Amino acid sequence: MSKSKARENRDITKEIIVAIFASLLIIVFASAILFSGAIAIPPQPTNRPLASFYLRTTYNWEFKWLWSSSPEVVTSILWDHRGIDTVYETGVFFFAIIGALMLIRNYKGGSKYKAVGMSIIARSVTKITLVSIPVIALSIALHGHLTPGGGFQGGSVFAVSTLLVIIALGLGFFIERGWTKHRLLGLHTLGIMIIGFIALSLPIIGFFRSYCGYIMQNQWKPWSPLGLGYVFNLFGIEILYSGSLLFLNLAGFLAVSAGLTLAFIALALPKEDIRKGGGLDD
Amino acid sequence: MINEILWSYIYASVIAIIAITIYGMASRPHITKKLIMLSILSDTACLMAVLIGVHSGTIKPPVFPGISFTNHPQVGTAELDIFSYEAVDPIPQVLVVTAIVIGLAVLLFLSYIAILLYQKYGTLDVRLIELRREWDSV
Repeated sequence: MSKSKARENRDITKEIIVAIFASLLIIVFASAILFSGAIAIPPQPTNRPLASFYLRTTYNWEFKWLWSSSPEVVTSILWDHRGIDTVYETGVFFFAIIGALMLIRNYKGGSKYKAVGMSIIARSVTKITLVSIPVIALSIALHGHLTPGGGFQGGSVFAVSTLLVIIALGLGFFIERGWTKHRLLGLHTLGIMIIGFIALSLPIIGFFRSYCGYIMQNQWKPWSPLGLGYVFNLFGIEILYSGSLLFLNLAGFLAVSAGLTLAFIALALPKEDIRKGGGLDD
Repeated sequence: MINEILWSYIYASVIAIIAITIYGMASRPHITKKLIMLSILSDTACLMAVLIGVHSGTIKPPVFPGISFTNHPQVGTAELDIFSYEAVDPIPQVLVVTAIVIGLAVLLFLSYIAILLYQKYGTLDVRLIELRREWDSV
């Protein structure tokens, strides 16, 4: 009796502490908005100087030592100006996937599941749309340096088709086609290794040719004359590929789509496999 | 005036959602509800970051218009001035792009832990999990 009473008292104390913390948070945010000028109400009439700097320089043909040769400012900042940060965030994604796989570490995989899924109408419609979703995802990733989108977005769109397959066609659809844990993890790791290779390519080339090269460098700089170029001549037609941005987008697409596919497949495993994989039956 | 009232309302509701989600995440006993609160919290933080980048006036996406794989003319300074005047701030959008994918990965990881907890204890209510752990240790 006294133990449950103590627990009730502790619950009430916890609620009060949480409520005080949440109201303190409201006060801090509101004062930050009202008094510090961090957020203008209504919004400021023009862009901030930093935003104007990025918007002016990323596709400026007259200052080629500051540009990243892409009209898409978001992708330029993501993979060029702030590239190392994005590499580390890809690492965070990798470790989240690895941590999730640790929880089903004993799962060996098997071919005992059959593609059953929903009714024949749902399965037919899913098979028709299943062709178009990965194509659109690849298009989003391929045009990442020209239109809004990129590798992360394309990979997320690809993962939608995985969810659709798991719900409508059943998990056996993947297992019959040999999409095992190890292959998907290998594809995910391949994507991340391509990103790392592109990040280190210019320092390595610069080391052997005694030039200065930086990690995640895209275009040439006056003190570092190496660059990955920006146009590519295909039978007389000049194609804009924006240096490393196209390759990084495709590698990011590979990494994110394989990783999310793997995570969704592992999430949809039956109960016995999860118990066995997590080591709960020992 | 109406503009100021509307924007104040938007920011007030965003801050209220953040406070409510933190309260709910700490006080609701069910793990699924904690996860729902966490996802709403991360999406609201992304919304707030994007709202900070908005400026009043003509708003266009931060992509220079009319460039494709084969059509990439040289752009003059005057066009870039107009573009930098009209486009929204790209920096919050860059933060949001990665935050969404990382948030999804973290949410997946937490879902796995929740599934394993359910398999082990038969419930996702943290009070019951606490009781059953005490019974196990006795």
